[in-house]
Amino acid sequence: MVGLEIGTSKICVVVGESRPDGTLKILGVGQAPSRGVRKGEIVDFETAMKCVHEAVVDAEQKSDVMIKSVYVAIAGSHLQSFNNRGCVMVPEDREEIDEQDVADVKINAREVSIPAQNAFLHSIIQHYQVDGQQGVLNPAGMFGQKLEADFHIIHGVRTRIQNAIRCVKELPLDVDDVVFSGLASAQVVLTQQEKDLGALVIDIGGGTTDYVLYSEGAVRQSGCLAVGGDHITNDISMGLRIPMARAEKLKIEEGSCVLGNCFPGETILLKDDSGFAGKEIERETLNTIIHLRLREAFELLKRRLEEEPYLGYLGAGIFITGGCSLLSGIDHLASEIFEIPANLTHAQAAWGVTSAVENPQFSTAIGLVKFAQVMHTDRPARGFGRIIGRIFSGKR
Amino acid sequence: MIQLNKNYSPPERLAEFIPIKIVSVGGAGLNALDRIVLDGLERADVVAINTDVNSLTSSVATRKVQLGRSVSRGLGAGGDPDVGYQAALESAEEIRETLADASVIFICAGLGGGTGSGAAPYIAQAAREAGALVIGFATLPFGFEGKRRNVQAREALARLSEFAHAVVCFENDRLGDLSPPQAGIHQAFAIADITISQSVRSIVNLIQQPGLIRIGFDDLLAALQTRNSRCLFGYGESDSDNRAHEALTQALKNPLMDRGRMLADATHVLVQVAGGPGMTLSEVEILMQELGRHVSDQTQILFGAVVDARLGDRLSVTVISSLSAEDEAVLMQTPPAPTSTSTVSPAREQYEAAAPEPEIQREEPTVEVRPLEETLPFEEPIAAEAAPQATPISIEPPVIPTRNGEREHAMSSQQEKSAPRNEEKRPAEKSVTPPKQEVLQFEPVTRGRFEKSEPTIIEGEDLDVPTYLRKHIKVK
Repeated sequence: MVGLEIGTSKICVVVGESRPDGTLKILGVGQAPSRGVRKGEIVDFETAMKCVHEAVVDAEQKSDVMIKSVYVAIAGSHLQSFNNRGCVMVPEDREEIDEQDVADVKINAREVSIPAQNAFLHSIIQHYQVDGQQGVLNPAGMFGQKLEADFHIIHGVRTRIQNAIRCVKELPLDVDDVVFSGLASAQVVLTQQEKDLGALVIDIGGGTTDYVLYSEGAVRQSGCLAVGGDHITNDISMGLRIPMARAEKLKIEEGSCVLGNCFPGETILLKDDSGFAGKEIERETLNTIIHLRLREAFELLKRRLEEEPYLGYLGAGIFITGGCSLLSGIDHLASEIFEIPANLTHAQAAWGVTSAVENPQFSTAIGLVKFAQVMHTDRPARGFGRIIGRIFSGKR
Repeated sequence: MIQLNKNYSPPERLAEFIPIKIVSVGGAGLNALDRIVLDGLERADVVAINTDVNSLTSSVATRKVQLGRSVSRGLGAGGDPDVGYQAALESAEEIRETLADASVIFICAGLGGGTGSGAAPYIAQAAREAGALVIGFATLPFGFEGKRRNVQAREALARLSEFAHAVVCFENDRLGDLSPPQAGIHQAFAIADITISQSVRSIVNLIQQPGLIRIGFDDLLAALQTRNSRCLFGYGESDSDNRAHEALTQALKNPLMDRGRMLADATHVLVQVAGGPGMTLSEVEILMQELGRHVSDQTQILFGAVVDARLGDRLSVTVISSLSAEDEAVLMQTPPAPTSTSTVSPAREQYEAAAPEPEIQREEPTVEVRPLEETLPFEEPIAAEAAPQATPISIEPPVIPTRNGEREHAMSSQQEKSAPRNEEKRPAEKSVTPPKQEVLQFEPVTRGRFEKSEPTIIEGEDLDVPTYLRKHIKVK
């Protein structure tokens, strides 16, 4: 099973297999720097294709597996989500609820008007209710007259999703499925217990910040904010007047988002490659720029999440992953803004290439493989709904 | 350049000898005293006072006074402050004798028990009557010692504070802060004693030692002037490469300093920097700059410097300040400093919100601003004038980041707020000059890397523009 993430800073392909005991083993990870992708979406088709090809070849070499089809992660600010309830009445002659009813209720829940240009990406079941009884997990086989279900629905602009799929198909590779990247990360970063307690996963990547909020084991809120590590680098580059590449390096090596931590007047010397005396910048300035940008992003996220009451009930707290989680002090900043303990995390419960598993940058791609594993095994009561047909029909 | 004679050395200043006495009362006080003597103390006399004869015998003090020969008969006070007090009364004469001929008297006591709580306030009173500057060092019992003991301690502290010019108070519960959690209990107590000993010794040094920039007895009095005051004390020492910063950090972390929080409200702060001959001016500067950040503009800083060859590579910082009891009570109720500054200028915030909107050159925000000005025709010239007035304000030195969150809110709710704000400002603005021409901001709105990609506009703001630009925070 292969997961492909077309990210803004890197493209990564993770090859994994499912072990008999149910755990996930990572066979190899291939990556390539990404060009032609901004804010999680492809802006330059040709270049992006080349980079994806490079990454796939790298993965094939490392894992010694021929890659034929992949699961693709989708991100972008166009993705929106909402919760909806579907309702189905069981016909009078029958008393038992069967699988068909369950499928029907899902279709019913999807009958919501979304913008004409949008297509459904996910319909994720939250809970079923049978005749008013709340919190039913698996209604098939139960007696009841009325079956209702709450779904969390994620949708996005059809053409943008299709762009990503097309890019992969032209490689040529088959696309098994498309998954919202935040959801993929959440699969592999949270344990079932954490999902039950209530947890928020924030995946801060190069181009976007994806978030998924679980409460009582079900996805309640999710979304994608088009602010990411790139924005921080841009801010640094403009603020200190240094080229982007330097800014990126500076951010990775010396960046911190905690203010007041340095010795007053502490400076960082940027050595110039050409041998000239480098530029000296104050550490506090660098940290201030990073801090401001991250603070704004978190506060924006908090405002979005506060539209629903779940933020106050997170038992397990906040989990930060993604490339930007490597910034020093980001968990403190998040804890401070959300007033909930925040932890840095990476893919859990996956074996194999340890350096890859423990690297938060790969959590989305590893999550895709985990998602694939879940799809292959018998779908549990909390499965993910999909309509690939709708999206692909436009292409074929 | 002025040529200095190679053999130049600063003239030796003859220190006027100020007689200091350190008086320890009660069991805990005696332990602290032993520590003080162990750590080396010059130029001060030590006196041990207790009801329990055994502890007096084992004390290393040169001068000892036994309290209450007939009241307690050489045994302790049994945890009863009244017994301690009676014992002190009985030995009043002896106490007065020992306290004579001193300009500064330190009283060290562990409160909560009998002798310390009962006798120490009486001794403080006697010391005050003898005309000396009285500084008390008291320890408060652990929480687990029970309510009664704690109540006794608090009462004794109150009585002690009445007579002493200043009291440095140390809560045993804070022992946890001082020592690593795995440390043995004796080590934890030893560290408590060491803290007290450090504080006593540094104040003694401060008074006695001739310094390069001298702090004297008079400055100490000024710093500790208020009656009923609680003393803040911090001491730090370091000999690493970054010693100035580390010494100050250590001093501020001292539990008696409450992590530098209360420093912002003190009226006087006394700082003494001591180092070996290698101490440089820049180190001192760094240290004072950093300290300056913890105190408010209103605070009077009394600065002293000492070059002491015996310190070698070490640099030490002593910070002493006092908070009067009323200030302390007020402090407990008011919220911490940063938010209080943000409530100072809500009016400014609203106008600063109005000003950046036109700069971003997006259709929606500017449209928001215009109808507002049109719906208040009477205030139009005032609003137009208020906006340019705001722009000079917005180019102020760095705004504390905590305010930005509030500004964001201000922007989104500026519709409702700007209207009443305009009316409020009106009476003030009326007498001001006629409308000025709007100042055009020349700040280029660039998005850097995101020039060619679709802008991310959330809540009316283009997030591709760097945050610090949008919030007008100056970064060099």
